[in-house]
Amino acid sequence: MRKLLTIIKREYVQGARSKGFIISTILGPVLMVVMMVLPGVLFGMKTGEATRVAVVDQTGEMYERVRDILTRSGDVGDDKEQQSGMARGASQMQARYKVEQAASEGKSFDDVKRGLSDRVRKNDLDAYLVLPPSILADGKAEYYGRNLGDVISVGRLQERLSRAVVEQRMLAADMDVKRVDELFRNVRMSTVKISERGEEENSGGGSFFLAFGVAAFIVIALLMYGQVILSAVVEEKTTRLSEVLFSSVQPFQLMAGKLIGVSLVALTQYAIWAVVAVVLALYGAGALAMTGANFTLPQIAPSLVVYALLFFLLGFFIYATVFMVIGAVVTSEKESSQVAIYLSLVLVIPIYLTFPIIRSPNSALSFWVSMFPFFSPITMLVRIMTETPPFWQIALSILIGVGTIVLLVWLAARIYRMGMLMYGKRPNIPEILRWVRQG
Amino acid sequence: MSEGNATLRLDHVTKAFDDFVAVDNLSLEVFPGKIFGLIGPNGAGKTTTIRMIVNITVPDSGRVELFGQLMNPRLQNRIGYLPEERGLYKKMKVSEQLRFLGELKGMSAGAADKAIDRWLDRLKLARWKNSKTDELSKGMQQKIQFIATVMHDPDLLILDELFSGIDPVNAELMKEVVLDLKASGRTIIFSTHMMEQAERLCDDICLINRSRKILEGSLREVKKGFGRHAVALRAEGIDGLLDDPVLISSVKPYGDHVEVMLAEGADAQQLLERLVAHGARISRFEQIESSLHDIFIAKVGEQG
Repeated sequence: MRKLLTIIKREYVQGARSKGFIISTILGPVLMVVMMVLPGVLFGMKTGEATRVAVVDQTGEMYERVRDILTRSGDVGDDKEQQSGMARGASQMQARYKVEQAASEGKSFDDVKRGLSDRVRKNDLDAYLVLPPSILADGKAEYYGRNLGDVISVGRLQERLSRAVVEQRMLAADMDVKRVDELFRNVRMSTVKISERGEEENSGGGSFFLAFGVAAFIVIALLMYGQVILSAVVEEKTTRLSEVLFSSVQPFQLMAGKLIGVSLVALTQYAIWAVVAVVLALYGAGALAMTGANFTLPQIAPSLVVYALLFFLLGFFIYATVFMVIGAVVTSEKESSQVAIYLSLVLVIPIYLTFPIIRSPNSALSFWVSMFPFFSPITMLVRIMTETPPFWQIALSILIGVGTIVLLVWLAARIYRMGMLMYGKRPNIPEILRWVRQG
Repeated sequence: MSEGNATLRLDHVTKAFDDFVAVDNLSLEVFPGKIFGLIGPNGAGKTTTIRMIVNITVPDSGRVELFGQLMNPRLQNRIGYLPEERGLYKKMKVSEQLRFLGELKGMSAGAADKAIDRWLDRLKLARWKNSKTDELSKGMQQKIQFIATVMHDPDLLILDELFSGIDPVNAELMKEVVLDLKASGRTIIFSTHMMEQAERLCDDICLINRSRKILEGSLREVKKGFGRHAVALRAEGIDGLLDDPVLISSVKPYGDHVEVMLAEGADAQQLLERLVAHGARISRFEQIESSLHDIFIAKVGEQG
């Protein structure tokens, strides 16, 4: 096995020293930071200036309330907890408004509108609202602005205006706004998972995202490293070293060594990124906590993290070996450039399969797709998270996966060697099958 | 060809790919301390034969025995194989590359490093030790490949078309090394389709054509058995003397001499006596042997 180690060492050292590796390792965290900071910066630029809104109040009683609600900071309404993260993020953009009442004394309504439109055109004003006298009854208002494309801003304005109208109606119906808010408070349901080990407090959302996260990581890892593995396999063909090597090592050793070596390079990069990401996340969480935002890290059971890592490795290796087989078949890298993308598309299938699995994690379908090696890294993980299957099923699924990896490496080695004996000609499918038989 | 224990013995070895028989029922023996020429035209089955010897592939039938054992992967460390198709990793330094290839032959890193320095020195490449392959000339790369073949001090050396693409100066350098290795008791298989090279280096030969062995033995015996019965002659006053069909079958003129083919049963000595008796002034009289090239052409030609 010393020869295997020699091959692993060479692949690892060459890979980890290559320019591509160093550049992408550094660029990764830089991109991470940019992705985290950029939205904040962009939103910040937007909130720098208050939106100047004029209100034409034809009811004669709404203006004060609308102004108060528009200029009030934070959220309106009582449905904070129901808002999705995205909407919450959007409302946290803290849109500020500078509200003025359109002076209308003596002028006709049309004149007022014309005057306001002129000011909007001259950028003296961003938009104006018209509150018709019938607004309380039919709930219709008009918005005139330069930028109707800014859907979020218009939406938010509408949301706040609605709130103002609702409050006004309550007042008209002699109801206490605060009291109504209280009565309308939503229910918060905490989710508890019953597993073999008893009850575990579990945020279902967190573990669900973990399954998608693992799938995404496998896809990203393959997009980045599938091609690397492929070219590692083709390397000895293009440098014409395969015959020299095969007089020293068995093809299986060479293939296994390459797989492990390149994978270690990939995992090194992932480990570096993971450390950076954790540091950034902790820093970010700390910063958020200081601003007083209520923010909790999703709670994930440690056993799930272990399973996630395990199935990530399994998935990575299974698909990596598929790349090896392709590398063994082709004679040059050019022939294989599109393959990575198609293979990643295959990975979309198990992601779709997660929906029926979540609905009935113990159905026959769920069982079989979590045994099928090309899906199991994702499907089995989803099952573990939704309703942990018996341990033997998990073990069997892992065993099938590992068996598939060994089989594919063996297959790649056999095809590779026959290809070399056949003087580097690229085989068609029947020939590949015959080569595998002949070995 | 049966003195002592053979280093390598092929016993009725056959290898086919699909319905193409690459090596057909081949038997041969290679003896220690000899240079064995495996010769034949391109596509004769030389490379497939060698691949079975180095355990890259296994015969469909027959046995390959090396150092008295049935061929197995453990014996690979005792072989140095320079294939016809050869290359180097482009982005690796010379020393790293050689250490890697040495370790794959079972050397420790330390032993490999020592051998690398010694060989780079010997082949005048010491100053390129830390260069990358793509900075080296073709000839230098060939020498690096040669070092990779010999650095682990193998008992059996297999050189497939050693001199292809090598300039005369380096060819001479490598020939010296090969002869040194032979002198120190290594067994060498030299495979080529260039007969002149085989003739200069080999002790024993095996000629294969179209997957089959057609001739084998020591170079001496082979040539003797293939005496062409010809004389190179340069002399004055021989007009009319060469017309006797009993003695001479044909005469081929060359630039400064003629080549006289003797008739069946005739002897060069008779011709010499006749010439002397008739007062011819002889400046050259030489019995010519068939070159390996002639034998090759004749034998391969026979098969059509």
